[in-house]
Amino acid sequence: MEFKPLIIGNHTAAVPIIQGGMGVGISLSGLASAVSRQGAIGVISAIEIGMDEPDYRQNKRKANIQGLRNEIRRTRALADGGVFGVNIMAAINNYEEMVRTAVEEEVDIIIVGAGLPLNLPGFVRGTNTAVVPIVSSAKAFQLIGRKWARDFGYSPDAVIVEGPLAGGHLGFSRSQLERLDENRLENIVIDVLTEAQRFEDSSGRPIPVIAAGGIWDKEDIKRFINLGCQGVQMGTRFVATFECDASDEFKEAYLDADEDDVLIITSPVGMPGRVIRGSFIDSLGEGEKIKCRYNCLKTCNPAEAPYCIADALINAKTGNMDKGFAFCGANVGRVDRIVSVKELIRELTQ
Amino acid sequence: MAILDDLKDIIVDILDVQAQEITEESKLVEDLKADSLDIVEMLMQIEDKFGLQIPESTAEDFKTVKDVVDYLEKRLQEK
Repeated sequence: MEFKPLIIGNHTAAVPIIQGGMGVGISLSGLASAVSRQGAIGVISAIEIGMDEPDYRQNKRKANIQGLRNEIRRTRALADGGVFGVNIMAAINNYEEMVRTAVEEEVDIIIVGAGLPLNLPGFVRGTNTAVVPIVSSAKAFQLIGRKWARDFGYSPDAVIVEGPLAGGHLGFSRSQLERLDENRLENIVIDVLTEAQRFEDSSGRPIPVIAAGGIWDKEDIKRFINLGCQGVQMGTRFVATFECDASDEFKEAYLDADEDDVLIITSPVGMPGRVIRGSFIDSLGEGEKIKCRYNCLKTCNPAEAPYCIADALINAKTGNMDKGFAFCGANVGRVDRIVSVKELIRELTQ
Repeated sequence: MAILDDLKDIIVDILDVQAQEITEESKLVEDLKADSLDIVEMLMQIEDKFGLQIPESTAEDFKTVKDVVDYLEKRLQEK
């Protein structure tokens, strides 16, 4: 089976695979540009992207804006004309400012999860930037689609359907995550495809449906394409690449993890998240009260949060695994080697 | 009272509750079991029904049915 190109807005990727945005600092210009060069879609994670800026600790907001500009420019310089995007969480407090910055930098695609991007089309009118929501239910997709049609006359350029086996923050309750049979990605995808068809019928514009969460190999990709999807989004496999922007220690945690090491936590973002168990996770609750001057997340209450998730994830990204943790997809136990992005894309497509 | 009745119609349509279970004191999330998607759906239907736009920042302050009714009364007087 030959895969068809994935078309999102005015952008065409030869390989219908999106590398999922992974924060903090796991997918930056290094990984995203390597993926784009291979014809798939690389995605920069915008969360705490300013961590290497000199004024990050003094002025996170400004540093994150500058970091986003820098990473978009670096990716473009390295991507050989390939398609790339940026993932911006709706739950961050300066979400609109980050979206505006990405549009100013003329990024190809903005992908938004961790909340409902109800007003996203308003930021990209008259530009070449496509907008793609991540949803975990047909209900959320239907709501976003109706809101965008009513308020902006805009139909989503694509939709990513993220199931319960995904990595990082999950759009499911803990009880839903315990009933995986009822909430299989395949079932949600089928419902979203039906809704997408309805929107297509009324707008005349196709909405590619992209499946995400637990997709491992070419067989998985084929299965979702055969269901009617136009592509897939994958995260975990891209962490296990030389080009991934995480530290070697972070990648080693992926290599070492078994199925039993995977755990669902409730993060200060207010959503469950899938992580690799480690000393930090095991000692949660014993930490000191956090000092926070920023409140970067709309949903985080620093007075009650048991730890600062931004700091924990920056620690993991930079290799200090005792003071942080790695988010992961449900299949992380299957990771057994680090490969190049080129090798991975070849394995997934040929 | 008309506003409350219209609002009840909308809530009954979206949530799994009966009109008689809804009072002004009902909390949207705790009592009526609305999730974040239900709240957005409710706001969209209110906007369509009353012909106005509710800013997201205002909507975040709606905790009870009364909060919504009071807001709508104020907005409709301004019209």
